[in-house]
Amino acid sequence: MTRGDKILYIVCGLLFAAMALLPLFGASGFLLRTITLALMYAVMALAWNFIGGYTGYSAFGNVAFFGIGATVTGVMMTKMRWDFAPAVLLGGVICSLLSFLIGPALLRLRGHYFAVATLGIANAAREIVAGWDDVTGGGIGLNLPLNTDKDFYTLIYYIFLMLTILSAVITYLISRNKLGFGWLAIRENEEGAKALGIDATLYKTLAWVLACFIVGITGGIYAYYNTAISPEAIFNPLYSTTPILITLLGGTGTVVGPILGAMILLPLSTWLLFNFPGIQPALLGIIIILTIIFLPRGLYEYLSGRRKLTLAALLKNPRDNQA
Amino acid sequence: MNTPLRLIGLTTIAAILAACGGAAAPAPTAAPAASTEKQPAQPAAASGACTISFGAAVSFTGSTAAEGKYTKDGYDIAKDKINEKGGIKVGDKMCKLDIKYYDDASSPDQTAQLVEKLITEDKVNFILGPYGSSSSDTAAAIVEKYKIPMIEANGAAESIFARGFKFTFAVLSPAGNYLRGILDLVKVKDPSAKKVAVVAETDKFALEVAAGAAKYAKEQGFEVVYNDKYPAKATDISSNLTVIKGLNPDVILGAGHIQDAILTIKQGKELGVNAKAWGFSVGPTAPEFRKSLGKDADYVLGAAQWTEELKLKGDANDPFSTPQDFAKAVRAKFPQGGYETTIPYQVAESAAAVFAFQRAIEKAGSLDAQKVRDAIAALDFDSFYGKVKFDERGINTFKPMAVQQNATDGGNYTVGPAESASKPFEYPAPAWGSRK
Amino acid sequence: MNSIQFAQTLVNGIILGGVLSLVALGFSIVWGIMHVVNLAHGAFIVLGSYITYTLYTSLGIDPFLGLPLTMITLFVVGYATERWIIHWVIRAPLMAKFFITFGIGMLLENLILQVWKADVRSVTTPYSGASLAIGGVNIPLVKLAALALSILMVIVFHLFLTRTRQGNAIRSTGMDLDAARLTGVKVAPIYALTFGLSTMLAGAAGSLVSMTTSFTPDAGARYTVYAFLVSVLGGLGNVPAVLAGGMIIALIQVFVGFYAPALKDAVSFVLLVVLLLLRPQGLFGKPFTSGKAE
Repeated sequence: MTRGDKILYIVCGLLFAAMALLPLFGASGFLLRTITLALMYAVMALAWNFIGGYTGYSAFGNVAFFGIGATVTGVMMTKMRWDFAPAVLLGGVICSLLSFLIGPALLRLRGHYFAVATLGIANAAREIVAGWDDVTGGGIGLNLPLNTDKDFYTLIYYIFLMLTILSAVITYLISRNKLGFGWLAIRENEEGAKALGIDATLYKTLAWVLACFIVGITGGIYAYYNTAISPEAIFNPLYSTTPILITLLGGTGTVVGPILGAMILLPLSTWLLFNFPGIQPALLGIIIILTIIFLPRGLYEYLSGRRKLTLAALLKNPRDNQA
Repeated sequence: MNTPLRLIGLTTIAAILAACGGAAAPAPTAAPAASTEKQPAQPAAASGACTISFGAAVSFTGSTAAEGKYTKDGYDIAKDKINEKGGIKVGDKMCKLDIKYYDDASSPDQTAQLVEKLITEDKVNFILGPYGSSSSDTAAAIVEKYKIPMIEANGAAESIFARGFKFTFAVLSPAGNYLRGILDLVKVKDPSAKKVAVVAETDKFALEVAAGAAKYAKEQGFEVVYNDKYPAKATDISSNLTVIKGLNPDVILGAGHIQDAILTIKQGKELGVNAKAWGFSVGPTAPEFRKSLGKDADYVLGAAQWTEELKLKGDANDPFSTPQDFAKAVRAKFPQGGYETTIPYQVAESAAAVFAFQRAIEKAGSLDAQKVRDAIAALDFDSFYGKVKFDERGINTFKPMAVQQNATDGGNYTVGPAESASKPFEYPAPAWGSRK
Repeated sequence: MNSIQFAQTLVNGIILGGVLSLVALGFSIVWGIMHVVNLAHGAFIVLGSYITYTLYTSLGIDPFLGLPLTMITLFVVGYATERWIIHWVIRAPLMAKFFITFGIGMLLENLILQVWKADVRSVTTPYSGASLAIGGVNIPLVKLAALALSILMVIVFHLFLTRTRQGNAIRSTGMDLDAARLTGVKVAPIYALTFGLSTMLAGAAGSLVSMTTSFTPDAGARYTVYAFLVSVLGGLGNVPAVLAGGMIIALIQVFVGFYAPALKDAVSFVLLVVLLLLRPQGLFGKPFTSGKAE
């Protein structure tokens, strides 16, 4: 761990501490909600980071599990009158099971094919939920029981904050042990990793299931927070793509990358929305394009001091990557 | 200071600023859509300058941008009319109206955020609803939490009102009622027309419309020969239409967005599907429908919450009195608004929402949220928009739906309810092959 | 399902297959040769629809007559996009290419919104709903034209890619980039050309669907998803396979749609996933070696 890393960890720690104290200092509902959503995306980014960042399998359809988690939670809370926590947990468990069942076969695919397959899974999940009227409420969706506690929104805020910290800690721990190194080895050279005796299938599946579990839990919490779900809302592709963008911007395969990415991209996006309302998507698109051209590995390597952030360094990226 | 440290320092500052930035950025700058920054209402000193602030998160961009514009225009024309007359009477003061707008980009998540912002940071007194059922649903949950009354004019899904919310009211007729007017017209015109086919997009609102239509059809003695759906945003419904064709329905009813109405007509024509009456919940009343289809739009019926030809008269306190007056005012105020041929009903119902607030506030005599809320629940008046009265769930079941028809002369006329019809209902629609 | 309905459904499927193939053709070529999954493909199609619409409503140019104009415009837009944007990440990792096209899609969609506004539009010519009625079965003529155009494009492109020098150069970059360079192929202009050709095809697709459906600036996503389905099913690296893929997807959609219309998309997507798990190269694609990341 370099000195830059240490400083970044401290920065993140301070950030989390600040966020933990924020509600106590009378932050407005809007600010809390904005940060809650940012944290939700940060959690999903950290989850994606396991399978997409470390292991190198770019899953493009994680919204499938967000939606499944939300649906399971919704169904259990409305039809079976379960409490919030068990319902969310069941959502996570079902996502884990489904991802575990499909994992080994799915992870035999590489690159584009894997990404497209995950996209197919996301679309399939949406259509199945939308068509399964009796169970999931079909196209109309479900209205979850309302929580009238006055501190409800603050509670959800803290839940997502805890989840973010937890996911970051898990990432840190894994990154320092065999599993993490195995993931990186698979990303860099899967055949070589296998030759070294790494059980690639097992390692990949673990990354995949872990990611899907976390995303499933997130979906379940979101369902309760939002108080109502419908297929169109919970299977919105933005829940797949935003976490990836965040991680790309911050730095894939790193502990703080997704967090930094979230803390930069999301306020930026909101700021654009308020100040350039009609053209915010265009500006965001341009930012995405520029980031990918000039910062293909994200900001992390510059912020941690591994590389100097100079104009020459930025320009080198497109030059290296051109045909 | 070496490079990493400098960078990290900058990042930290940036991150912390950014985290607050979401809140800080909008406050000092102007709101995206034209609206002046005003302090929330405090009935001021006896010199009497007070403002009642309303907040509205409406879609100015995204998939419902067009309807969002109609909504805003409706809110604005009502606001200006009220302010022209001095404002709203609160107790013994006259308070002007102000509306703060944000763009929710047609995203219900964003609606929730923005409504919460309006309440907790901009500290508006009341909320005017967004466009669309999904957005209205999320907004309803937020206003319920903060106990701020909201009147919405553009979210007809009854599922919103099945949730026991006390602070949300809708001036428009519920989804299930949309297609009733069309069935009524056919029944009177042609009692022998019995077979009805209902086809819906898999969408919260559309499915409710379809369910309501099927139920009403059965109650009215029709035979519902087809009642099925297709995936959301479909670009091909040839399968549904092929089945429908084989059933020879007299009436085909479609529930979905305007894209679905256009698609159904286009593919219906291609596949030679014929019906004596075609009716859609959304689409035929908008100018784009005729523009997109040309002559193929002839005979198509559309459900309308309101049309400018209705023979309605508001009570003594109604600022516009008749739909015709309202239409004139809209055209005068928005000459470039695309309102030359039709005034979409979203404009009228949005204005109605503001006027409903006016009456409730004046009745309550205060800006207290609970008092105003109770006054809204007790409202019962006739306006240029129709009857405004809320059932115990909070939605206006007392106003009938109107029906418009795209006529063969190129115009769009009100054909129902019968007493308001400005032109007779053209029926039956000839088979595609025999139209000129 | 009686025999007339069977015949009509069959016709529906074949015709839809023509449309889907046209939608997917450009996408498949770019994926197979440049190894770029163009997430903005749908946006280019929609751009084609809007240009057709403007040519028709403002200049009175019939969509079919205006087709070359639309196609050329889209070619130029695509060429420029590749040359000045995508070009810089060709050798970057997979996700970079995925996401840059995602960003391009966002940008393009918003630009379309700024220019043409959000109103729903469709191109209706006097003949656009016309169909040939044969014994109770209707064959929509505009979509038939789409099928014809699709077949024509497939033949033209197949011949172009296999029989011409330029086409061979393009294909060689897809097989082995460095070897291609060694034989003197200038890769950068080739890539720009390939991408331009793909957006040109997208423009053609957009032109045709503008007459058969309605569109808004954000209507592209649907088409991109169908492009995925068709390309994967048919198999990459094989132009005629796109036709096969389109036909099969379309036939599945319409037959499933007859019995359970709400589930037709669900079935298609599940099929996509199953297909990828069992036979990722699709029906006619080259089996790819598991070591090579695509």
